[in-house]
Amino acid sequence: MNAFTRIMTGSTSERTSASDPKSFRERGARIGGVLGGFLRRTSRTGFVLYALALGALLGLASADFATRGGYPFGGTTIGAWTAWPRTGSADADPYSRAVNSRRGEIPLAIGEGLLLTAAVDDSGRTLEAGCSYAIGGVVPPARAWTLTIAGRGAADPAKTRLREGFTSTEVLRSTDDRFVIAVSQDVQSGNWLPMPRPRGPVRLALRLYDTPVAASVGSLDRNTLPAITRLGCSR
Amino acid sequence: MSTRGRLILATLCGLVLAGIVHIVTVRAIPYFAQGDAFSLARSSESLDHPLRIHSLAVAGVPAPAEAWLPIPDPAVAVGVCAYDLDDGPMRVSARTGALTLSIAVHSRKGAFYAVTDQAAVRGSLDLVIMTRAQYDEALASEDENQVNRDVRIVAPEREGYAVVRVIAALPSQSAMANDAVDAVSCSIDAPEEPTDANTKPGG
Repeated sequence: MNAFTRIMTGSTSERTSASDPKSFRERGARIGGVLGGFLRRTSRTGFVLYALALGALLGLASADFATRGGYPFGGTTIGAWTAWPRTGSADADPYSRAVNSRRGEIPLAIGEGLLLTAAVDDSGRTLEAGCSYAIGGVVPPARAWTLTIAGRGAADPAKTRLREGFTSTEVLRSTDDRFVIAVSQDVQSGNWLPMPRPRGPVRLALRLYDTPVAASVGSLDRNTLPAITRLGCSR
Repeated sequence: MSTRGRLILATLCGLVLAGIVHIVTVRAIPYFAQGDAFSLARSSESLDHPLRIHSLAVAGVPAPAEAWLPIPDPAVAVGVCAYDLDDGPMRVSARTGALTLSIAVHSRKGAFYAVTDQAAVRGSLDLVIMTRAQYDEALASEDENQVNRDVRIVAPEREGYAVVRVIAALPSQSAMANDAVDAVSCSIDAPEEPTDANTKPGG
C-alpha cells in the first residue's frame, strides 16, 4: 500500500508545480528518479497489492455506477421515446435485473404491458420543468394506457399533487379521436398536466397495458407514438 | 523484467481483475439485495390474499406509504403474493370485474408468465403455479372426464411472487381497484382436496 500512496503524493506535487517549465522538468526528473528508485526497491508483493487494489476499486465503483438510477441499456429508442420491453422478463440482461433489485422495482412483464419513457422532446432537447409542452397525437393499440410525469428522485410527500397523469379513459379527445395534453406550470384549458416541480429536468412515462406491441417493439415508429412539442419557456 | 514493465503488467492485471469484479458484482446484486421486490414480497407469504403494495388515493385521502415501488403508476393498484412451492402448488384465483386486471408471475430472475383478465373463462381466472414434479403429479391423478379450467404453470424456481395489477381508468374507480386487488385469492393447493371432492359422483 505504501507504494501506492507514494505514487499518489508524487503525482500531486508534480501537478502543483507546473508553473515554470524549466523547474517543472527538473522537478519531474527528480520525482521520476525517486519514483523509479522506489519502484525498483519495491518487491513483487507491492505490485500484487497494487493490482488487487486497482481491480477491487475499479470493479466495485464501475458496478455501482452502472446499476445506479435507470437502466444503462436494453431500451429501444423511437424518436423521443424509449421502450423497455425486456426489463421485466426472465431473459432480461444482468444490468436491468440488478437495477430492478436495487430500486425494488417490479417491471411490467411482456404479457402485461409496455413501459415507454421520454426525457427529451421531439427535437432532442431535455424536458425542463420551466417549459410548456404539448403531447399529442396517437398512442399504439392498447386496452388501456396511462401517461404520467415525474421529476427525478422521490416525490415530496408533504405536497399534494393535483394530477400526476392521464389515463386513456380520462383524456379529452377531439372529434378525430386525437388528443393533446398540455404540460405546463400554468393552468391550461383541455387536458392540463401540471409540472411536478418548479424547475429541473422531468420525465414522461407512457405505460401501455395489454398491448400487442410489447412483443414486437420493432413495429413502433414515430408516427404511432405521441409527439412531444416544446411550446416555450417562461424562465 | 524492468520496473516499468512490471508496473504496466500490474496495471493490466488490475484492469482485468476490475472487469471480473464488475461482472461478478452486477450478477450478485439480485441475490444480496435487501430492498428488492423478491425480498420485500416475502412478508405476504402468510396471507391468503395479495399484499397491497400500491394503493390508490380514494376521495382525497392519500394512499398510505407502505409502497416501495420507486415510480408507481398513479392509476394502478398493485398487490403481491409470495409463494414457496415446497408448501404445495400456489393457486391464484381472480374474479373478473369491470376493471382491467392482470397477473404476472415472477421468479427471482424476472417474470416468466403473465395473463390478463381477457383470458378468463366464465368470469374467473385460475392460475396454479407448480414445480415440474407437482405438475406431473397433477397430470397423473387427473380425471379425464373432468373439465379443468386451471391454467397450470411450471415455475423455473421454487420461490417467487405473483403480482396483481388493477387499473382504475377513472379516479372514481380507485376504491374499486383497491378492493379488486384484495379480492384475488392466493392459496396453497392441498394435494388431496380437488381429487377427493370430484371423484365420487362419476363413480
